[in-house]
Amino acid sequence: MQTDFLLIQQLREKNPKALSSLYDKYAGALYGVILRICKEESLAQDVLQETFLKIWNNAASYDSDKGRFYTWAYRIARNTALNETRTPSKLIQTEDLSVYKEKEAAEEVTIDAIKLNGSIRKLEKHHQKALELVYFNGLTHREAHEEMGVPLGTFKSYIQQALRKLRELYGVEMILVIGVLIEWML
Amino acid sequence: MDAMMDKKEILNSGLLERYLLDEVSEMERLQVEKYLQDAEIRQHFQQLEISFEKMALENAIPPPAHLKNSLLGTLGERMETPSSPENKRTNLKPYLAIAATLAFLFGVTSFWLYTQLNGIEDQLDLVRSQNEVLTEDLENLVENYDAVNNEYDITSNPSAQKLIMVGNNNSPDAIAISYVNHTDKTVYLNAEGLPDLPDDHDYQLWADVEGEMIDMGVITKGERFLAMNYIDQAESLNITIEPAGGSDHPTVERLITNVYLQ
Repeated sequence: MQTDFLLIQQLREKNPKALSSLYDKYAGALYGVILRICKEESLAQDVLQETFLKIWNNAASYDSDKGRFYTWAYRIARNTALNETRTPSKLIQTEDLSVYKEKEAAEEVTIDAIKLNGSIRKLEKHHQKALELVYFNGLTHREAHEEMGVPLGTFKSYIQQALRKLRELYGVEMILVIGVLIEWML
Repeated sequence: MDAMMDKKEILNSGLLERYLLDEVSEMERLQVEKYLQDAEIRQHFQQLEISFEKMALENAIPPPAHLKNSLLGTLGERMETPSSPENKRTNLKPYLAIAATLAFLFGVTSFWLYTQLNGIEDQLDLVRSQNEVLTEDLENLVENYDAVNNEYDITSNPSAQKLIMVGNNNSPDAIAISYVNHTDKTVYLNAEGLPDLPDDHDYQLWADVEGEMIDMGVITKGERFLAMNYIDQAESLNITIEPAGGSDHPTVERLITNVYLQ
């Protein structure tokens, strides 16, 4: 996982190539989150587009001391997606609800497409579910613990245990050391 | 850190996870950013970030390819001026044309200046040689002027006695003018009017002192105005024709003119 230091520097200087590179690197990951929140492809595409425009326009406000670039981009994507799906504006604008619902149903992504992959699959089911709800579905901890029907404290510990397990699976410590070395060399 | 929660408490509170998900109040955000200054908490947070990131990459869904182009297209529209390399290349053309024109003009001007310079150098040489000639002329003139001035000083001196010596039968055309100055004890002779002699003869001037002829000097050929030897108590001045270089005693038969001093 190489550092994005130079790319972000160029992004701040409004170099479209930098955005292009960051897009190649992260668009898939962000689209994976956005699509799982929106559950509708055309809306998800708009959100992805808007996310990258926000990244482009607000690059100056990204502070690498406060976290990784992806974390920053993820927050933008998540908030943009939640704004799009939670504002009832679309429902209000559409007078014929049945038509809207039909249309949405037609575009709704298949469960298969948004099924989770990778190391998360190796976790216990309730840990998988907890991560999916907050990370990929954009639920708050409060919403998610109600969804799962467990107390908030228990839900929090699910998240923490899940992350600890993931960290072991990914060998995160090693990645961190390498990351620090790379940054130091730069 | 006293006002802060215990480190372990922070790590277990789920606050970092919520911060990562941007699910915190403004106050909590400031709090977390303060906690993150602690190395251990910061490291823990970085581990969270990397785990989330890896998980997200594993669950990436490639967006449709056209989306990227339309995104970059939107940027192009919004940016307008910073423009793509192609635009830069076309924008360069007029500049290249201007640069080429300037280079051409520069070349033409340089050539023109070069020929002008050559012409001017030729003219300068000419002026230099003219200047040399003029300088020479001037030197001659100054020399001449000095001579004339000198002559004038001598001849116009009130103490100088002007004696005109007219040729006798031996040389009827001869005429010489002598200037005798008893105050300065000088004698000058204007020999202009003496006819030319062959190379083997010279005119010689003599002073008659109590019947004895005393040499006053040979009149150098070609000299117009000469200084002669002043002799005290000379009664008359006499010019004879002598063999070239002059004689110790005058050849009286060949006396051509004489004049008495007052």
